[in-house]
Amino acid sequence: MSPIIKRRGEEFTLPSKYLLFILTVLCTALILITFKTNLFAGPLNSFSGIFVVPFQKGITKVGTHIKDTTDRLASISKLLDENEKLKEEIAELTEKNAYLEQDKYKLTELQKLYEIDSEYDNYHKVGANIIAKDAGNWYYCFVIDKGSDDGLMVDMNVIAGGGLVGIITDVGPDWAKVESIIADNEAVSAMVLSSSDNMMVTGDLEKYKTGLISFSKLVDDADKVRVGDKVVTSNISNKYVPGILIGYINEIADDSNNLTKSGTITPKVDFAHMNQVLVITELKQKAK
Amino acid sequence: MNIRRVIINFIFIVASFVLQTTVFRALDFGGVAPNLLMIFTASFGFIKGDKAGLLSGFFCGLLIDIFFGSFLGLYALIYMYLGFLIGKLHDIFYSQNVAIPICFITIGDFVYGFICYVILFLFRNRFNISFYMMKVIIPEVVYTALVAIFYYPIILYVNNKIDDREQRSAKKFV
Repeated sequence: MSPIIKRRGEEFTLPSKYLLFILTVLCTALILITFKTNLFAGPLNSFSGIFVVPFQKGITKVGTHIKDTTDRLASISKLLDENEKLKEEIAELTEKNAYLEQDKYKLTELQKLYEIDSEYDNYHKVGANIIAKDAGNWYYCFVIDKGSDDGLMVDMNVIAGGGLVGIITDVGPDWAKVESIIADNEAVSAMVLSSSDNMMVTGDLEKYKTGLISFSKLVDDADKVRVGDKVVTSNISNKYVPGILIGYINEIADDSNNLTKSGTITPKVDFAHMNQVLVITELKQKAK
Repeated sequence: MNIRRVIINFIFIVASFVLQTTVFRALDFGGVAPNLLMIFTASFGFIKGDKAGLLSGFFCGLLIDIFFGSFLGLYALIYMYLGFLIGKLHDIFYSQNVAIPICFITIGDFVYGFICYVILFLFRNRFNISFYMMKVIIPEVVYTALVAIFYYPIILYVNNKIDDREQRSAKKFV
């Protein structure tokens, strides 16, 4: 390096407090801008698509593979024991199966009654793997390995194991961010299936640790809603497609205003052990 | 700040972020994962000074913002200030001793957790601070401190290597 260039380099050195000040202003500006608009989504999404998502995909794939193989080795001795038990169970189950065949007719009949359920099957869905979970411990959102290249869009609903998981809030070319309904800042408009009463389902970090989510603003003058009733997404929500199962009412109590009720719901989805999800590739705004 | 240092630190940040969101999410205790990016920001600030701390904090935070923040800049701001403050300690303490930086990483992570609680939860009428302390902040701090015991020496070692190289190449030109 020649002395001239070096002197030049020193000229450009910024004292750290000024740098701090500049970056603070920059951050504040970013917060204000992105709070309302979606200005920087494009370039930043492509940045993360190039530098971060491939690693996350790879590591998740390797991780699940390693876990699978170790699980497989560990379970051989267990399997032998289980095999004995299973043989006994088969005998039992063949008997039960006969009964179930009969129930099946009932089911198809009931499904006709609840047209909601059949509609639910008709939504076009795309499977996706979860490749990363929230960096902090405060919220529960995660990243999946499908993005706009697979036709995903913001506000599409995500389900798993027959229940509502959350909603897509950000999409890159080959990844999408899903905010789950148990996240503390999420709220879903829902209704009780049996009585069609509307309510708000909100995630709650305190309750989530015990495996529950809370609901409020349930108007139920006739006292028809009972513990164990099904809760599904409501028709009036502007983002969630109607009729997706959220969970079952676990606890219900009158609010102090005596007009509404609130309580807790046991979610249908096991959020702690979730690896694959289904994305409904239909938006509520366009869906019938 | 030569290009090699920038690239290596970039790799460090991305690796920390990827590990934090994948591997350590699978190895969580009670649903809580360690904050590797906080370890990196704090250690880097501690080793190289306030300016390095605030820059690395800014980029670590920005990465979280891009992926998981509902808007850009909030985490960048928090990480940046913590990196800056811990970087101020660079002039006071030796970076070779492992115990002191681990202490400050722990304190930094605690402050980070507390700020997150205040900004993201207290402002939305969630007043049950003891619950959040016991279930999120304290477990995260403990886990982070444990991981930092192994992670800090790696960062220190790599940084010393780069320093050596830079000094050697600087000598060549004398």
